[in-house]
Amino acid sequence: MTQASDIELVGVTKRFADLVAVDAIDLTIPAGTYCCLLGPSGCGKTTILRMIAGHEEPTEGVIRIGGDNVVGLPPVRRGTAMMFQSYALFPHMTVLDNVAYNLRMRGVGKAERRERARAMLDKVQLGPLALRMPAQLSGGQQQRVALARAIITNPRVLLLDEPLSALDEYLRLQMRSELRRLQRELGITFVHVTHTQLEAIAVADVVVVMDQGHIEQAAAPEVIYATPQSAYVARFMGGHNVLSGRLAQIAGGLAAIENDRGGRFELAMEEGLAARGDPVNVSIRRDRVALENGAAAAGINRVSGTVDAIEYQGAFVKVTMRIAGDEEFVAYLRDDQFLKRPVAIGDIATASWQRDDLHLLRADLGRVALDAGRPYQNP
Amino acid sequence: MQRTRSGRRPWTFYALAAFFTVYVLFLYGPMSAIYILSFQGPNGGLTFPLNGVSLTWFYALFEQQRTGDIAGSFARSIALALMVLVLTVVISVMAGLAFRRRFFGATFVFYMAIASLIMPGLLISLGIGLMFQFFGLRPGWYTSALGAHLSWTLPFGLLIMFAVFSRFDRSYEEAARDLGASDWKILWTIVLPILLPGMIAVALFGFTLSYDEFPRTSIAVGARNTLPLEIWNMTTNVTSPALFAIGTVTTALSFLVIAIALGSIALIQRRRTRRLPGGAAKLEAGVARP
Repeated sequence: MTQASDIELVGVTKRFADLVAVDAIDLTIPAGTYCCLLGPSGCGKTTILRMIAGHEEPTEGVIRIGGDNVVGLPPVRRGTAMMFQSYALFPHMTVLDNVAYNLRMRGVGKAERRERARAMLDKVQLGPLALRMPAQLSGGQQQRVALARAIITNPRVLLLDEPLSALDEYLRLQMRSELRRLQRELGITFVHVTHTQLEAIAVADVVVVMDQGHIEQAAAPEVIYATPQSAYVARFMGGHNVLSGRLAQIAGGLAAIENDRGGRFELAMEEGLAARGDPVNVSIRRDRVALENGAAAAGINRVSGTVDAIEYQGAFVKVTMRIAGDEEFVAYLRDDQFLKRPVAIGDIATASWQRDDLHLLRADLGRVALDAGRPYQNP
Repeated sequence: MQRTRSGRRPWTFYALAAFFTVYVLFLYGPMSAIYILSFQGPNGGLTFPLNGVSLTWFYALFEQQRTGDIAGSFARSIALALMVLVLTVVISVMAGLAFRRRFFGATFVFYMAIASLIMPGLLISLGIGLMFQFFGLRPGWYTSALGAHLSWTLPFGLLIMFAVFSRFDRSYEEAARDLGASDWKILWTIVLPILLPGMIAVALFGFTLSYDEFPRTSIAVGARNTLPLEIWNMTTNVTSPALFAIGTVTTALSFLVIAIALGSIALIQRRRTRRLPGGAAKLEAGVARP
């Protein structure tokens, strides 16, 4: 039986020629955790996975698995197993021989390794396909073969590189819960790389949101989704509107933020976090917004704009407004609420929210510029 | 076939069809005449009409003749082509593996190797002959001619391996390493089996390019001729249909080699996409096992 192991990255940097793919990252993934590395392509998440696996070596820093520094060790001696994005099933071997490959390399006899590989295939419900070639399997079957081939090594850590990206929507949802169930059964540490937010928050115990070689936030999925630390995380995870301004006044634990487009937002904030005039980013969840027809008189915690698009989503209605500064502002309204006070495209409307729902993006405090642009505005 | 709105073909169709017909006539017409005439009766001559049908001239080929040593030169050509085949495959695969790492001067080395394709073969042959003479070595078909042939087949082999490796997914090797394979095991159990169809293509090129090589062999061959050189000699002094029989035999052999190569590639591809013969029975046995 394998035991779960902590993974620790300390000051890990990876440079390719003059490109810094991963920049001085510190991260601890506790034993037996399902961890998702999440970020847009090129953010360094796959590089981190490959460094844990031993397919890349860090330029600087230490990687520990179960307390041992594994930098420089070949993959087998790290106790990791990796499932590749393309699955990398050996095209010239049967499914059975693919799964038995690790045992063959360990010198297990032919009869025994076939026996064990067959048992493993039965576990993933692929027993009847043992003598097929990989090219004869569907995408979902290939993925389960890749999974069986990795698990038969009894790893302490299973590394999954975009495991669901090649599957269609239906299979993706099915395999997602199957992966989660497998992780609970095996009790080992899973590290799963993905660029899909919903996939990450659905399966993970810990979500690590990355941007350009940095970790923006690492926390439980509900923490990441409800209380993002920065405009980047809020936008990348989706479900939030980001508003920015400058601190106008702070007193009695209450801060007022104003922008040059006439917006004034108030929220609870401890003193000493920012000085008057400092740039501040805040966010409001799209589903915590109320919408009214017509422009509002100047007020606190409200924005007005033109309705740009209305999409019916079943459980809710997505209303997209264009507000001052040509920014997008999105409200998710419960369908019954929307029908009570319907707005139409082209209408002027006002969105408002409770003060307690406005969320301070703390990690943005002290960053040089006001947040501008919307690189990862979510649909 | 694309047609104009009125349903008539454009004039370019007829022009190209005429060109293709002429091409086919030029390629297969004279060759067919030679194949047919090689079955000329014992009293027949070098031209139509056929004076009976026989295999006389094929038997004549394999007897030592005062006109030429067909059997001997044929054996030498086959032996040489096989040596070239083995060396071309081994060296091309190793070179292909080496070029995957961008070593210092890789581009320069590559162009140096490829340049051989555009050098005049006769001059290479002359140079090799002169070099052997300079060093006091005796040129021969298995020394100087072997080198001359490799100068022709290796650039082709290298280009094919480049094409093969460009489609080779490196994650196969990483997956194997992940599963505990050493570099040596990765090469033998993963890389070479996956490359096998490409290696057969290289082998086919190596064999056929060597088997009918003429200019590079002409001066470097030494005392004993290869088959193409022997045929060339015979055209000047043989006046029987045996000459045509040579053409028929060598063509048949070329087709045989090509068929073997393509057949084995097709077989490998089939094995990778279809169930192995007997697989179904073994499968059932496997499932039924308690």
